[in-house]
Amino acid sequence: MSAPVLSVRDLTVTLNLPGAAPRMLLDKVSLELGKGEVLGLVGESGSGKSLFCRTLVRLLPSRNMRITDGRILLGDEDLARASEAQMLDVRGGRIGMIFQNPTSHLDPVMTIGDQLTEGIRFHQGLDARAARKAAVAILHQIGFPEPERQFDAYPHEFSGGMRQRAMIGVALSCNPEILIADEPTTALDVTIQAQILQLLMDIRRERDLSIILITHDLGIVAQTCDCIAVMREGRLVEQGRKRDLLRAPAHPYTKALIGSHPSMPPPSTGQGAVAPKAIGTPADKPLLEVDDVNVRFAGTGSLFGGRSGAVHAVAGVSLKILPGETVGIVGESGSGKSTLARAILGLTPIASGNVVFDGTSLREDRAAFLGRLRRETAMVFQDPYNALNPRLSIGDMLTEVLKVQGRTPAADIPARVGELLDLVDLGREFAARRPRSMSGGQCQRAGIARALAVNPRLIIADESTAALDVTIQAQILDLFRVLKRKMNLTLLFIAHDLAIVRSLCDRVVVMHRGHIVEQGASAQVFEHPAEPYTQALIRAIPDIDPDKPLLPQAAREVA
Amino acid sequence: MHRYKFVLYRPIQFLPVLFGISVVTFVLVRFIPGDPARVLLGARATPTAIANIRRQYGLDEPMWLQYFYFLKNLLNGEMGKSILYKIDVLKLILTRIEPTLVLVLASVVLSVLIAVPMAALAARNHGRFADHAVRVISTAGIGFPPFWLGLMLIILFSVNLGLLPVSGYGETLGAKVAHLVLPSLTIALSLSTVLTRSLRAAMVEGLRSDVATAARARGMPERVVFWRHVVPNSMVPTINLLAVNIGWLIGGTVVIESVFAIPGIGQLLVRAIFSRDYMVVQGVAMVLACATVLINLIADIVTVAADPRVKL
Repeated sequence: MSAPVLSVRDLTVTLNLPGAAPRMLLDKVSLELGKGEVLGLVGESGSGKSLFCRTLVRLLPSRNMRITDGRILLGDEDLARASEAQMLDVRGGRIGMIFQNPTSHLDPVMTIGDQLTEGIRFHQGLDARAARKAAVAILHQIGFPEPERQFDAYPHEFSGGMRQRAMIGVALSCNPEILIADEPTTALDVTIQAQILQLLMDIRRERDLSIILITHDLGIVAQTCDCIAVMREGRLVEQGRKRDLLRAPAHPYTKALIGSHPSMPPPSTGQGAVAPKAIGTPADKPLLEVDDVNVRFAGTGSLFGGRSGAVHAVAGVSLKILPGETVGIVGESGSGKSTLARAILGLTPIASGNVVFDGTSLREDRAAFLGRLRRETAMVFQDPYNALNPRLSIGDMLTEVLKVQGRTPAADIPARVGELLDLVDLGREFAARRPRSMSGGQCQRAGIARALAVNPRLIIADESTAALDVTIQAQILDLFRVLKRKMNLTLLFIAHDLAIVRSLCDRVVVMHRGHIVEQGASAQVFEHPAEPYTQALIRAIPDIDPDKPLLPQAAREVA
Repeated sequence: MHRYKFVLYRPIQFLPVLFGISVVTFVLVRFIPGDPARVLLGARATPTAIANIRRQYGLDEPMWLQYFYFLKNLLNGEMGKSILYKIDVLKLILTRIEPTLVLVLASVVLSVLIAVPMAALAARNHGRFADHAVRVISTAGIGFPPFWLGLMLIILFSVNLGLLPVSGYGETLGAKVAHLVLPSLTIALSLSTVLTRSLRAAMVEGLRSDVATAARARGMPERVVFWRHVVPNSMVPTINLLAVNIGWLIGGTVVIESVFAIPGIGQLLVRAIFSRDYMVVQGVAMVLACATVLINLIADIVTVAADPRVKL
């Protein structure tokens, strides 16, 4: 490792709220970043990793937070004591930042080009003409096919992946020495994620850039970083070279983090999710049968240039789910997997085809079908907070469901609420709590309890773990496994994260552009994918083993 | 340019609205107790004279037939004849519309000129003294009724300081401007309070937004972050609020026009209602409706121009 470009010593940030004791948000964090090195900063949400990076450029999210101790040495300059005017040169000019959500961080009312030239003109003092030329060159470098034309386009005209590229371009526009990337690929599909990671690695090579990559995905770290630093509760609990740390983690939290990575074999082998199970003997009567379902959305007219007319969101999809089976639907955003779920639940009208739930057909008797569906299926949503009514305590929420359902006598409801909380491993005292005072994982457990309240025969989980931290994600997946075993649940699990589906589901259905490209037993599909699309999708998953390289082949093939 | 296509078909959507307004005003104005002929001729008029006048203006016909004639005239660009002024309603409105239009326009411009700096001052000092001061002032502004505010301004600037005319409307451009300063200031002071509050909220949110964070992270000074990123983004929600308020203003200048004795549409409308001058009431209502519709169309155009994501 060469001499560090950035050296942080005992960095401490304290939160001083009026009327409360000061709280240390960052506690003596020390680390070094070498020239051209990629440092992976991992930790759960709330561990202080984002705060750490914002502190480096002195953009603390609140006036009540202060750097109370430590030094941030960039070259020989101490950023912890630099003046605000000096910081303006550092931000963008020497340290560039990219963020998790390009959609909210790009100015929606300003063209991509203007956002690029803004920094160029400010930091390098170029005139409009020269800045435009420089910006177009950057757009070309970061993979915009028509930079001249796309210079004048607005962020909303691009896909999520292209927006993230644009944001990388904005960060690069002033030639920084260090790039801080805060969860840059979390909001993206795996194949796009692979492309963006590839782009970051290319840029690093071309510009000899040092990168701090914040992520919760150890797979990404294993694939891209040189060093790893693990944060927890504002402290740096462990750091070291990537291979050493992955092979022999010292801190229990690091071990838990590595253990909960979904690319590892599932811990419970009792009813090993991957273990092939006898599926689909013709004698078995399917609980849910989707037969040649088509869903079309009315075209948005001429707004998207030539692509007028109806959009085929789901095209000729057929699918059978047997009782007690766990089926995963995977696909990238826009593949139609959520639309299919909505169609099954009767929330989106189907253009043709049929859905049969336990003998009741949507085609023949829509009212009866919906009635049975509402009574015998339940849904678990992606965003655990927004799916719960903030004004109801968890107990009230469950009571409401039980009352509406009307199968539990009023006197037994409190006992039943307690049972439900036990089932999802929430203490009984949670009956009195409201979602606001609960963590994301606890909210998701409450959401699952609500789904279980109706004694459903089928649970549809739409990206139910996507918004959770990895360790929490692993706990929720375990909960699903336990429930499956205990209650013989049938589970339709929709996710974009293949590793999760692989670890949980017996059978997997791969969707792409409204079609099913491949389906079969999880083990079969993931180990021997037959279709090129599935192969590309699987290869794009960053493996936690650094010796199973993700880049660059995967990205190239999918692109 | 297809984002602006709605400008072509929007007027067609407005036709049913205008039709509805014409029916409602036509019927309502005839429900007001009283009779234009009697108002015109006075209390001691003979029944024959009243009947004559009624026949002359077609008021003896059944209501649906009167409405039919009204529509027929409207399609020919006529609105009938004023009973009180004895001239064509449209011509009458056109002579009175100028002061009102100028008054509304000046008030809107003034209120934006007041609201933007006030909101900016408050938002950039969020939670500090300036913010609280702006909030107190704008809350108090909502509390003061405009007519009272207008009278106070007259007392201060016209009576005590003698700087501006007390009331009325001028003939020359200079005189017109001088006469409109106080009334438009009166309206602007009340209107700007609403705008300030909305803008301030949007700006406070904007300063905390990811867009602002990203701009700061690329080294933009706070001044640039605010004026180039936060302000344009916070204008969007305020455009519609302003449009709603302008629509309300056009009908609501009545009070201000009375306080300052400005011969505008509002005054004309009040007079017409008191004298049961049906034709004028209908005509003014139609013109106001068209103006409101037009303002909303303009607001939509501005919104589309201000936010590239909006499709109408």
